[in-house]
Amino acid sequence: MAVAKKYYAAAVLAAWLIIVAFFMVLNRTLDLEVFFVLALIGLLVVAVLIDGAFSQPRYMRYIGYLIAAGVALFAYIVVEKILEILAA
Amino acid sequence: MNRRASHIILAAAAVLVLVLLAGEAASPVLYSAENTSTAAHADPATVQKRSPGNAAAVVPLMDDLLGQTGTLALTIKLKDYESAERDLARYTDLSRQFDRLVVTLDVSGTDIGEFQQNNRQNQEALATLLNDTRRFDDLQRLEVEVRGDDDRHMAVVYEGEALRQKMREGFSAYAKRETETVQIAEHYDVNATPYRESVEDYAEVADAADDWREEIGGGSAPRSPLGIAVTPDEGRYGDLLLIGGTYAGGTPGAPVEVYVDSRIAETVTLDESGGYAYPYSVDRVLAGSHLAYATAGQVYSTVATFEILPGNTAITLALAEVNGTTVACTGNLTTEDDRPVTLAPVLLRVDDGTLIGTETDNNGTYRKEIVLPAGEHTLKAEFHGAGYPLNASESPAETVTVRGEGLSPLPFIAAGAAALGAGWYLRRRRPEESPLTEPHGMVDVVEEVVETPPRVEIAGLPPRDAATVLFRTLRARLGLAETKTPRDCARIAPAHAGFFERYERIRYAGETPSEEELRAMEKVALGGDETAA
Amino acid sequence: MPSGVTRLQREAWAILLILLLAGAAVFAHVTTTPEEYSRYNTGWNGTSGFAGEEVRDLKPGVTLLILAPDQPFTPEEVGYCRAFLDNGGDIIIADEEGAANPLLADLGSRIRVRPGNLSSLERDHTDPGLFRVQVTGNASLFAGIETIRVNRPAAVEGGEPLLETSVLTWDDADGDGRITASETFGTAVVCAKEGNLTVLGDPSLFINAMLAENPEFIDNLQPVRIDGVHSRTGTANPIINTRLWIQETPLAAAALAALAVLPVAYRFGRKRDE
Repeated sequence: MAVAKKYYAAAVLAAWLIIVAFFMVLNRTLDLEVFFVLALIGLLVVAVLIDGAFSQPRYMRYIGYLIAAGVALFAYIVVEKILEILAA
Repeated sequence: MNRRASHIILAAAAVLVLVLLAGEAASPVLYSAENTSTAAHADPATVQKRSPGNAAAVVPLMDDLLGQTGTLALTIKLKDYESAERDLARYTDLSRQFDRLVVTLDVSGTDIGEFQQNNRQNQEALATLLNDTRRFDDLQRLEVEVRGDDDRHMAVVYEGEALRQKMREGFSAYAKRETETVQIAEHYDVNATPYRESVEDYAEVADAADDWREEIGGGSAPRSPLGIAVTPDEGRYGDLLLIGGTYAGGTPGAPVEVYVDSRIAETVTLDESGGYAYPYSVDRVLAGSHLAYATAGQVYSTVATFEILPGNTAITLALAEVNGTTVACTGNLTTEDDRPVTLAPVLLRVDDGTLIGTETDNNGTYRKEIVLPAGEHTLKAEFHGAGYPLNASESPAETVTVRGEGLSPLPFIAAGAAALGAGWYLRRRRPEESPLTEPHGMVDVVEEVVETPPRVEIAGLPPRDAATVLFRTLRARLGLAETKTPRDCARIAPAHAGFFERYERIRYAGETPSEEELRAMEKVALGGDETAA
Repeated sequence: MPSGVTRLQREAWAILLILLLAGAAVFAHVTTTPEEYSRYNTGWNGTSGFAGEEVRDLKPGVTLLILAPDQPFTPEEVGYCRAFLDNGGDIIIADEEGAANPLLADLGSRIRVRPGNLSSLERDHTDPGLFRVQVTGNASLFAGIETIRVNRPAAVEGGEPLLETSVLTWDDADGDGRITASETFGTAVVCAKEGNLTVLGDPSLFINAMLAENPEFIDNLQPVRIDGVHSRTGTANPIINTRLWIQETPLAAAALAALAVLPVAYRFGRKRDE
């Protein structure tokens, strides 16, 4: 327990985002929507892994709102893409 | 730097980045390697593929077309009219394909475009030749039948003469196109031999008509009583050419049919002096020489030729936005002399790719509304002069930026629904817990159970084990569950907290109780009065 | 809870890792260049993937490739080339800007490169300069190949034609991507040969992005030496040039090695003295 769990979580999320950005630069395409979706996936995975069943640390208290906002934006993106495909 | 300051800085940086990213949200693709190219080469991985399709078909199609002229002329010469009809149908089909190809590939400005025009004229000429030859055959048979009847014989002779003249004129026009067509064919390595043979066959057919005339008429052209002349004998699109003449011995009021290029143009009536006149407006005919003749009943006139000269055109294009997705294209198509070209096909080329067809109205104006996706587009109007004695023209390219539709509410509704759903799910998964209320409830349930375990149990045991037995006893006496640890018990039954805490140190910290302590603990465990609550 | 690595050591490892990654990125940035046709350009328009040894001296009996020359040939060098050709070596000049024309004239050849904007209607990409040409004639260079994909080539006049375009090809002088009034269709020759001398109007065949399009051609070409003096495969990047110079001059390499060894020897030597 040398380092608090929240620092590990933040470091893992940051590393994931850097990996995603690296591959986007490698592919010579920087797409904000793709980056957002992958970041949301990373956030969800990290939130599930650090969540303890018996306690709710302070940093986990408001993560629900963040995830809800992220999912709302994700739904917006998905529906917009569907409309685009239907219109074509 | 203290933690508060670093938190504030971190929060401010996060907000700044989010704001910057949100600014780009409208166009989420920030960068993509599109069409990386330099003057010397383009990166093939970034250039879009497209189907090669059409271009490879041009030269083989030209080959087919020239081949068809050969077979068609041959079958006409051999008077095999059924095969000739079939060949003509196939030839017409191929010509149409070729026309479409030329427009799609946008090569009408090159010699392929000239080939196309020549081909169209050839097609018309051969179709006319087929009909004329068939009619000529009928006339030849008829002529023999009506040898006795002078009037009818003269009529047949006149018609025969008209046909002969038509064939002659047709042949000279056909032969005129030979050199240019052969030259273009050689440029593209197309076999022009069938075409050359077709010219010879056409000549033979025309010669056969001449021979027949020699047989019957005896050398000189019979003067038909029905005269015809075209004044002026050349004109351009939109001009009015007067086709008229007199019918010697014709009754006034009799109908006279005027034919242009073997198609009936109008039926006029003879006036009192036996003359007729028809103003022919030059509209949708090919440039070149054309024939006009008239019939009054059975009597055919001679054949008059007139020339249609090609003219240049100019087309304009103006773009106007109708709504977020539609653009209205309007323009005028006029000839050099400012005459409007009516009911003519106009092609709108969108982004150098898609072609949309429209037509001009009676004033030479066209208007078309096109639905386009959002973004910038280049539009050009083109007139290809197909079937007109006019040269092709195109308007300058105009660009238009299409706004695109407004935001539809559906994604926002979906986002709201998703947010609500996520909130509900997270709330359901984590109910409001208050673990602090539990111990209070538990204390009410604690009952004192009096039990007297035998003393002998702890006598022989080592001190620590004895303490364990005593702890278990007290725990059972207080009615606490066996799963509760000493610390839990201390919390639940604070009255005996001291006992439990001491026991915890004995059990887990490796301390050893003394005899006295054991005895005191025993007392408490067995329900000693001093500390009972 | 005791652990084998203290927190400070773990942070040090993390920092070292990041520094290594950053160092790798800097190294990659510094040792590559975006110049066209350069051997040190790993991007789409470099020739780093093309297997061919760079030479500065002509050895007899090899195939020499002069790739997009931009340096003029001195009369001596022309003489060497002439001797090389006469001794049986093959020279392939790949040029689409016309810079090789003086060399061709000096070598006494009739072939000339005519730079232009060859575009073809018969293509399978939206770019009119990217299309396939037919292999005509007999050359070991194109043995077993029917079509070659070229990328904005130049026309080559004279000599025996080896690569011909289709008839629906024109020189797009106004660059609008379609054939307009003054332009005419016609087949163009993209590669011609005269004895041992082959002139190819498209050096783009050797860039990294195009190597996968004509694999048999690249195979037929091997083994090949690239003219390091005149081809545009070098670079103006000083760091790369310095590294090359060090590699080529043994004295410099030895000096650098000594320089690296000295501090280490000094440090450990000192320790022993104490």
